[in-house]
Amino acid sequence: MKLSDRIQDDVVILEPTGKIMGGPDASLLHDKLYEYIEKNMKRVVIDLAQVDWMNSTGLGILISGYTTLRNSNGELKLANVTDKIQSLLTITKLVTVFETHDSVEDAIKSFDS
Amino acid sequence: MDAELVQTLLHFVVGGFLVFLAITVVRDNIGSRLNRATGGILLFAGLGPLALAMSSIMQQPAPGAGGSAMYNLYHVWELLFPTLVVFSWYFPVDRLREFRHPRFRYLVFIPQVIHLILVLFFSDIDALLETVSASESQGGFSGALMRPFAYVLQILLLFIGYILSNQLVIFGSINLLYVVVAVYFLESGRRLQTNPRLVPQTEALVWAVRLGLGLYVIGLLGGLVAGGLITEGVRSLIYLTAAAVGTVFIVYAIVRHQFLDVRLVFRQSLIYTITSALLVGLYIVVGVRASEFTRPLFGERAEIVSYILIILLLLLFQPISNWIDGAVRSMFMRTRSDHRNIIERFSRDIISVFDPKELRRKIEDTMKTAMLVEKVYFVLYDDDVGEYAIMPSDDYGRRTIIRRDDMMLRGINLLDRPTSYNSLEDYAEGSQLAETLTELRVKLILPMKDTEHLLGFLALTSKVAGYRFSPEDYNLLGVLSNQMVSALTNARLYVDSLERIRLQEEVTMARQIQLDLLPSHPPKMPCSVICALSEPSRTVGGDFYDFIQVDGRKQVGIVIADASGKGMPAALLIAQIQAIIHSEVNNGNSIAMMLRNMNRQIALSTSAEKYVTLFYGELDRETGEFEYANAGHNYPVLVRASGEVELLEVGGPVIGAFPYMEYESTKVKLNDGDVVFFFTDGLSEAMDEQGVEYGEERIRSFVRDNRHMEPEELMKCILEDVRAFDPSTPPQDDTTIVTLKMTGAGAVIDEKHVQDFR
Repeated sequence: MKLSDRIQDDVVILEPTGKIMGGPDASLLHDKLYEYIEKNMKRVVIDLAQVDWMNSTGLGILISGYTTLRNSNGELKLANVTDKIQSLLTITKLVTVFETHDSVEDAIKSFDS
Repeated sequence: MDAELVQTLLHFVVGGFLVFLAITVVRDNIGSRLNRATGGILLFAGLGPLALAMSSIMQQPAPGAGGSAMYNLYHVWELLFPTLVVFSWYFPVDRLREFRHPRFRYLVFIPQVIHLILVLFFSDIDALLETVSASESQGGFSGALMRPFAYVLQILLLFIGYILSNQLVIFGSINLLYVVVAVYFLESGRRLQTNPRLVPQTEALVWAVRLGLGLYVIGLLGGLVAGGLITEGVRSLIYLTAAAVGTVFIVYAIVRHQFLDVRLVFRQSLIYTITSALLVGLYIVVGVRASEFTRPLFGERAEIVSYILIILLLLLFQPISNWIDGAVRSMFMRTRSDHRNIIERFSRDIISVFDPKELRRKIEDTMKTAMLVEKVYFVLYDDDVGEYAIMPSDDYGRRTIIRRDDMMLRGINLLDRPTSYNSLEDYAEGSQLAETLTELRVKLILPMKDTEHLLGFLALTSKVAGYRFSPEDYNLLGVLSNQMVSALTNARLYVDSLERIRLQEEVTMARQIQLDLLPSHPPKMPCSVICALSEPSRTVGGDFYDFIQVDGRKQVGIVIADASGKGMPAALLIAQIQAIIHSEVNNGNSIAMMLRNMNRQIALSTSAEKYVTLFYGELDRETGEFEYANAGHNYPVLVRASGEVELLEVGGPVIGAFPYMEYESTKVKLNDGDVVFFFTDGLSEAMDEQGVEYGEERIRSFVRDNRHMEPEELMKCILEDVRAFDPSTPPQDDTTIVTLKMTGAGAVIDEKHVQDFR
């Protein structure tokens, strides 16, 4: 997994590419999140458009990211969820927990409403 | 040859050789006081016989009253006694450190120097007395003025005369006392010395001094008691023998035990000198006397025969000297101090040692016996603490961890060859390590470095008995350090592999525990057939299934679960889940409540990214009613006898991700011929080479198409199908399957069958 990040309208956009499979991926995402939390930027959208595969460990990384933000009064939303990840979220019934949006823009807008 | 000539020759040869030896010993390492002292002993021992030989050659008159100065010069040999005493203060234990004023050690020379002055300048005491009385009897003013002085002088001369006439007793006793003192110091020093190389050196020297002492006593007593029997000439011969015997032992100590730490070249050349001198001497004697031997046998032709004999001997010279050369070399090859030998022995010794402690002991042993280093300290990277540390050894009782940012450690890290500790002065400031090393009197640092890392270093003190590190020693230490690096690396790899084997054994044990936790066989029920299998991708897995007999109820619990991640962490999580399920089921809680409690416990006790997907259902053996809740697990497939497919998806989120989650359960009625297929994602996510997943869709159709099969067969077939799709071995993920097929709901239940499935 590679991870790039940018800021759009005061919202942090994280863009992982490749497979989210655990191992070093976990600390990569974690460190990035903590970096922004320290800057008091706690509204984060993970753009999953470029993620072609994710296993149970990868899902664990998203869960812990979500928890981390929640614990510091932030919020994590997902955008451009692929079918595979969507079905993973459905099966695990985490769709009820994760807020998903069809596009990054939608996700950003949803913070304001 | 007459006796006098032989005696002169002997004096000359022995004296000459001793002086030669003295010069070479001092020249070998002029900076070492030990070499200078030994050289002094040999020199004085040699000068005596030489003086005798010279006086004999120069046809000087006999000794005693009116004896020549050249003859009396032979008393210089007595200086070897004080030199011997001084030597015994250096070796084998340096006692001068305890002296407050080391310079005073030269005071021991006073008696012998006085004796020498007396015999040189006052040997003709009667003549001196006459001169003094002559000046006394002079008349006039000056004579009157001189008279008291002359009187004092006369008394002094008489006293000196008395001393000289009893010199044998007086100075002989002093010399004897000196030898006894020297033997005492050498002997007690030998007891204190533990270095295995110094002990034989000292022993050889003690023997040299003892034998010399014995012969000296014989000569002395002979002169005193049986003065008539043992003449001056015989006595000097006895002393000569003492000197020769002492020398032989010193040469033996040098050659065999590397006394004075002399270089190999020097020791070999010493042997060559001795053997060639003997050989050439023999040749000269044979050459000169050849015609004498041959005349009685060959008469007239004796001269020709003797020429032939000499030519033959000359032809043999080369082979004989070659043979001597070979013999000398092979003798040195056996000695422990030869550099090639040290390297060869060292690598043989350490190649098979994998225990780090034992390895350190061997290295220490080599440093002490072969290199004569007094003390050896190890500073090594300690894997246990992840820092460099001074390791405990014979010379250092505890383990001292060195700070990572220690300046001296950084300085040593830059080294790649043996380096004198003094040259590292720049790094000493504020360094705890430098303080310790200075306190331990470290003289040399021997870094042990592989291609990039400093494994550690040896800190060596000076050599024993004040010997010094030579450039050859530095080279040798460099080679040895390379061997130590590979030995230490090997030992570490070995320890690692042992650790791996131990871990492997633990994992195997864990696997056994995990297998024991799985039901040994599925419950046998009249209403249904259940089959199950679980294949971990590693030794232990994060999947599990279980059947639970609910106490006092007619339901059977079926659980299948999959922990996130793989291997040991997943297995531990699974064990926790299993324990919770069993206690929850027996607490009589509803399925939804059970999952809620379980979720809360796991979520609060593990980190967020650890979770479990779990399906739990209870089958009523009488009615075929199946109540279940699905906590984020892959939907089990229910294929009705008709071929209709339903998914068991009601429940809630995965267990352990978020603490406060709600779960619901639902009921389905299972009928004859219905098949429920439970699986984990190891089956659905099996992937072919193009990265396409086997997928849930494929599983559903496979089960639907083969629902007529017996559960056992169905499982076998689908597993074969999946393995054909994804042939990777071992499988990428843990795979678990449970198949339930209804055979006749509502049938009479044989309780016995139900009870024994665990």
